[in-house]
Amino acid sequence: MATKKKYGFVIDIARCIDCRACLVACSVENSVPMTDTRIWVYTPEIQGEFPDLTRTFIPYNCMHCENPPCVDVCVSRATYKDQENGLVLVDQEACIGCGYCVEACPYDARYLDKERGVVDKCNGCIQRVEVGLQPACVATCLGGSRMFGDLNDPDSEVSQALKNASTVMRLDFEDGKVDTDPNIYYINYAGATDPLVLPDKTLPRPPEYTLSQAGWKKVAVPLMAAAVGGAFLVQAVYFTKQLVQGESEFEE
Amino acid sequence: MKQNVISRRDFIRLGGLGVGAAAASRMFPPRLARAAYGGKVPLTDDGYIHTLCEMCVWRCGVRAKVVDDRVVKLDGNPDHPHSRGKLCARGQSGLMHAYDPDRVLSPMIRAGKRGEGLFRQVSWEEALDFTAQKMLDIKSRYGPEAMVFSSTHSLSQVQFENLLNGFGSPNYGTQRSLCFNAMVTAFLLTYGVEEPSRNYDDVQYVLLTGRNMMEAISTSETSQLVEAISRGAKLVSLDPRFTKTAAKSTEWIPIRPGTDAAFLLGMIHVIVTNQIGDCDFVKQYVVGCEDLPAAMEEYTPQWAEGITGVPAATIERIAREFAAAGKHALAHPGWRTSNFINSFQTERAIATLDAVTGAVVRQGGCLAAESPEASGITLGKPPQPPYPRISAMRLDGVPWKYPLVPLKLGVFQEMRDAILSGEPYQAHGWFISRQNPVLSLPDRQRTLEAFGKMDFIVTVDAIINDTAWFSDVILPESTYLERFDPLSVVEGKIFLRQPVIEPQGESRSALMIYKELGNRLGLADYFQYEDEVDYIEQQLAPLGLDFESLRYKGYLVPAVEKPETEEIVFNTPTGKIEIYSATLEKAGFSPWPHWEEPPLPKPDTFYLLTGKVGQHTQMGTQNNQLLHKYEDQPRLWMSPAAATARGLVDGDWVEAASEIGKVQVQVLVTKAIRDDCVYLTPGYGHLSKGLTTAFANGVSDSVLHVTYTDPISGGQALSQTFVTVKKA
Repeated sequence: MATKKKYGFVIDIARCIDCRACLVACSVENSVPMTDTRIWVYTPEIQGEFPDLTRTFIPYNCMHCENPPCVDVCVSRATYKDQENGLVLVDQEACIGCGYCVEACPYDARYLDKERGVVDKCNGCIQRVEVGLQPACVATCLGGSRMFGDLNDPDSEVSQALKNASTVMRLDFEDGKVDTDPNIYYINYAGATDPLVLPDKTLPRPPEYTLSQAGWKKVAVPLMAAAVGGAFLVQAVYFTKQLVQGESEFEE
Repeated sequence: MKQNVISRRDFIRLGGLGVGAAAASRMFPPRLARAAYGGKVPLTDDGYIHTLCEMCVWRCGVRAKVVDDRVVKLDGNPDHPHSRGKLCARGQSGLMHAYDPDRVLSPMIRAGKRGEGLFRQVSWEEALDFTAQKMLDIKSRYGPEAMVFSSTHSLSQVQFENLLNGFGSPNYGTQRSLCFNAMVTAFLLTYGVEEPSRNYDDVQYVLLTGRNMMEAISTSETSQLVEAISRGAKLVSLDPRFTKTAAKSTEWIPIRPGTDAAFLLGMIHVIVTNQIGDCDFVKQYVVGCEDLPAAMEEYTPQWAEGITGVPAATIERIAREFAAAGKHALAHPGWRTSNFINSFQTERAIATLDAVTGAVVRQGGCLAAESPEASGITLGKPPQPPYPRISAMRLDGVPWKYPLVPLKLGVFQEMRDAILSGEPYQAHGWFISRQNPVLSLPDRQRTLEAFGKMDFIVTVDAIINDTAWFSDVILPESTYLERFDPLSVVEGKIFLRQPVIEPQGESRSALMIYKELGNRLGLADYFQYEDEVDYIEQQLAPLGLDFESLRYKGYLVPAVEKPETEEIVFNTPTGKIEIYSATLEKAGFSPWPHWEEPPLPKPDTFYLLTGKVGQHTQMGTQNNQLLHKYEDQPRLWMSPAAATARGLVDGDWVEAASEIGKVQVQVLVTKAIRDDCVYLTPGYGHLSKGLTTAFANGVSDSVLHVTYTDPISGGQALSQTFVTVKKA
């Protein structure tokens, strides 16, 4: 029986040079409005004291979570997790632009395209992947930091990179009931034990839902109440080579 | 009497509400092609056209995706050695250059005062007739040397040079003295090549002297360096700033600006006095081998510590590590090396380091002193007569004032100053092609004054950069995605730049602009090609290659027999590596790499550092909306200690002043810079209101830069300007 695909990203932190080729490539490939972006390279503050400084660049986009909070809150069922490939996608014909998913995403990975009145986000460049190309950001990554592929395939580049990594880390969001179980794996990130602390925010953040429009209050969104104000926990996972090979999490 | 009546409608005031907005609605796709999930745009090989990038001079191979006659995506060509399937941010943004709403769509002739932005749209006939008539007027009144020509290097440079040489002017301005004169001159004198090529396959130890590879990006080389680091190669960076390269380095040494040469001489001292280099190689291939230890005797690590501020033990350790890596160690030659008047000595020291460890030429070594022309491929070219004899002196002082500067490099800043002084003669006209001296030359005020001395200025460019803004005629060139250029040979392959979309407006290729102008100047014999394709076919003819098959993949690999040579001969007077250079000695300079102390900042002033960012190319891309989207706001970097001492906090507006100018800019307080330095990203602060995105964004360091020229290489010393900073 053929195993279903589980597309995900592996990002080698040591290789990112913050050149931003990925950002421009994504904007062009996906016609992203000039005021929005689907992917980021986060640059936390420089650490240490002169001249013993360190600096990390963290490429970032939709985590294509196993349990995506955005899907749970979508009132029009436009946002869904593709059962064939594991990507979290938006059916823009069905999207009504309410923006709940934007608030629900603990990673701030979604935006409301004001011009079209729909929500948009990283789609794993599925239009490229389906014809055998890498996503635009991955294909042009100068340092080879971004990798993309089938995490269920033990021979894929991403699985191999995970197997050979010195450290593996995810920005998992857990509050007891919710565990996003994200599909971006950061590897070779020596200093990561904390949430991603950025000059203007910390990620992941607790999901927020603003019920400003009265009409929407009637819509039953089971997860919503539970998630409001939920505590979050960053799961920084360090695996040895043996652990990775032994963990069922990667094989599912 | 014939009266030339021009109605108001014929005028275009740039920078007003008119042209940018109108152009935007007409030609700029606010949303590029849709490519959402659902497979609306099936990607197949059929939809790609192969061409060459021109967002910088590295010239990567590009696969351009075209849908409905629009270019919608650019990918790196895996078959091109410079892209290897990748493009940097600038390369990725290239289609936004073609679709820039500020593109010049037709030739224009100035209708108001210079710098007022009032232009008249004219036909090509009128623009070229007018330009040719002005140039011929100047030639007949003052001689051909009164026309100066300047251009930043491109694939059509050979025809630009035909224009200036055929016209009979010796005055050739390039960007080179603002960029790599020190590197090229030093390596020509030492190895006999302009720029040795680097090999990262087996590199174990890389020393970067101010070479900010992660931000001053050359796609393949940057990728190869990251690859080498990931393999475990050690990377040592000398830089007063904690750049992104420094962040990726095994060791960052925040050396005092201008003292790199002292650090390197200290390393050479350790290697040669302890005989830990590749002695066999040195004995066989190096001139001055016996006397080198004596010549380096004074440059002890302790001496270097006093100059550089780097502990002697560190210098000694790095020297020993470097030597231990032998031919697997690479001291990178650098690229823009126009930093201090001693930058030539820094480059000579780098060349020496690579020689004493045998990195040069040694099988598997990291540097090849082989010239790129050694590929064995000889392209054809259209026939042309010899150039007229030119007897006039060059305004830039080459060679009468700068005897060792190669003619093709020149000393651009000196040419500007000669235009101002009128010595040794007065220039009257300036032909500028895709170059922006108003922003690139030091001392913008003086450059604008030099413009004021000109009877006539014509600029060829795709957008109205600052130089076009102050010109009398603007000739719109098509962008690299819209035109053919002469062929490019890289590593045994012949690559083609070809149009992937129709030219916007009436823009034309440089090949045809030069030809049409040449015909009007009586220089038709230097432009013997019908059109661009004819030019390329004449290039291919001797190789028996077919143009159409070249178009398909964008490149061909000709069968050439490359002569195998056992013997290594360097293209220097002695045929060896000239660490000791008799040529330098004859010209009155030190024959050995040696230490020259650059000027020190006065108390309470900072070194003003410059250096690239990964999202822009020099002064030319700041109007690109996609790059603007992802650029950092250009601010003045300052250390926390220096800021505190001046009562400044991050984001404060400050006034930075040098002896020649001042700017107001927001300060970025960062640990990433020495206390005695500030840094300003170059290329910002455009004056042209014809650039909707770039106009008035940030400030230009050319306002502050004082003109200092290295007497050996002719390089401008861009980091030798000192500034005071106070709250604005």
